[in-house]
Order: sequence, then structure tokens, then C-alpha cells
Amino acid sequence: MSGYLASLAPAGAPTAAPGFEKIQRRWDTRIERWCAKILPGEYFVTAHDEAITTVLGSCISACMRDPHAGVGGMNHFMLHEDTSQGRSEWMDPVAGLATRYGAYAMEQLVNDLMKLGGKRDRLEVKLFGGGRILASLTDVGRRNIDFAHAWLAAEGLRAVAEDVGDVFPRSIVYFPATGKVRVRHLRSLAGSRIGDREREYLRSLPVQQQTTGEVELF
Amino acid sequence: MARIMAVDDSATMRQMVGLTLQAAGHEVLTASDGDMALEVLRDSEPVDLVITDVNMPRMDGITLVRELRRLPQYRGVPLLVLTTEASSEKKHAGREAGATGWLVKPFNPEKLLSTIEKVLS
Repeated sequence: MSGYLASLAPAGAPTAAPGFEKIQRRWDTRIERWCAKILPGEYFVTAHDEAITTVLGSCISACMRDPHAGVGGMNHFMLHEDTSQGRSEWMDPVAGLATRYGAYAMEQLVNDLMKLGGKRDRLEVKLFGGGRILASLTDVGRRNIDFAHAWLAAEGLRAVAEDVGDVFPRSIVYFPATGKVRVRHLRSLAGSRIGDREREYLRSLPVQQQTTGEVELF
Repeated sequence: MARIMAVDDSATMRQMVGLTLQAAGHEVLTASDGDMALEVLRDSEPVDLVITDVNMPRMDGITLVRELRRLPQYRGVPLLVLTTEASSEKKHAGREAGATGWLVKPFNPEKLLSTIEKVLS
């Protein structure tokens, strides 16, 4: 890095919360903040004034923060592909693997916000993504949106803002310190690349399922 | 069939675990945090098994396990932990507190039921 560029960025990114050291962060000169970039299946929480960014196709990101505690975070996930037909099957809280995976993605984020001092009844939630990007018979994006709404309702939470659905991918930047979100709708050309990455993520989900869900008797 | 207390701060999780257990014929009681669970369990007929989340407001699951083990009527009752936490440090803490077993979310309903059967027998 040249001396000039180095002089613009503060010495180092704020200390990452335990478990989040591996998330890639870089200084963004446009927003003058450190910015954590998360990929499908990842999430990030912070108690600092930094940004979190991601690109969404059919996936969903929930942005959550507790303004009182000064903590916030964002996830990025997609429901497990379910071979069952119709909403009643995959929404089934027991039979639907999809729902169990989605609930896990939401709970991880809430848990880590609580570990940083957040309270779940103070959470301010915003939802993004769920575009119809992947060419398939079922609208994967819609399924993700329906899940997120159902989950929020069951937990007694509500999205104060959302930009979901439609046919384009989105680039989002979340500022947990203020709750602001910058959303940019991308062209469909970018969508095919994002779609490829999401399909790959979707294929990896069954493998992730096998590594979690373990049982240990003491 | 057993009487089981399921403790989780997430309503979605309480419903998922509750329906899984009920479908297998168990009777289910629920609580949304450790504090509430302890209050209910302390003064009522002991349940056959407790299954608890870890990260919850007011009282976490590991503290709940430790508190329950101090009650004479819960010394021999299986106490399972069901959590997103998978680190060996957390598991160790659970074991030290007196947990019987550790299950990592997202849970597999068949595995949950077979584990319950195993620890109850």
C-alpha cells in the first residue's frame, strides 16, 4: 500500500467481536468507515461505527440493531432447498428443513447481538433482498421473504423498513450506528453472476447441515 | 411418554421443538428464559427432562443447568442443551454445570427424539 493511501485510513479496523475475526474488512474512502463484507451464509455484528456490506440476489439480509446498546449486525442467507411442493410443506416448523435453517440463521445474529449487550425486545429490524434472480420453477426469493416475515411475526418483531422482492439484485451497505441502509438496485447482468454464486451456496447447504446438528452426550 | 420442559427465547424454536416432542407423544411445557423455567420447575412436580437453549435474556441455559442441579429433585434428571453454540469451551462449561448432553442447531427432529429416548432410558 502506498504511503498516501495508508495515511487516509486509520491504523487498523476496530477490534472484531469474538468469532468475527475472519470476516474481511477494508477501509472505504467513500463512506470513511471500515466496511465488513459478508458473503452468503455469513453474518457480522459490531459495537463500533463501521459499515457492513453485501450483494443480494434471491438471498435475504436482515439488518438488526439495538440503538440503546449501540450494537448492530447483518446476516445473509437463503433457505435450504426443499423438494416439497407448496408453502404449507416448507413452512412446516417440524418437517420443513428450510424453516429450521432460516430460524438458525436469524437466531445466530440475535444471539451475537445479545452477547454484545443488545436486548432482543429493543431490536430494530430491516429486511432486504429476495429478488427473483434464479431461473427456477419456484420463486426462491419469495420463499425467503415469506420466511423472514413469518419469523419476525412469530418473534414479536417487525421490519421498520424493507426493500424486498422484484427481479433485480441489490447491493446494500448497512450502518448499524445510525440504522441507515444504502440500497442500490443492480442490473440483471450482474444478476447472473450473483445467481451463480447463490446457486453454489445453495448446493453447499446440505453439507453445512451435516456439520451442524451434532449431538454429544457427556 | 415423558413430561419435558423446553426453554428457548425464540418463539419459533419453542414451537419447532414443542411440535417435534408432541408428535412423539411427549407432554411439553415451555419457558422463554432460564429465570422463568427455574421459577416454574422449582415449585412444581419435577419434569422428566429439560431441554434448554444457551443464549437467552435474564438467565442463560448454562446457569439454568447449574441452578437445577442444586435442587434435590433435579439431581438425576437429564438436562439437554440445544444451541447454536458449537465451541468446545461452551460445551465444557455446559458439562461442568451438569448438562447431560449437547445438541447443536439447526436440529434434526429424528436425532433430537432418539437422543431424548437414549437419555431417558
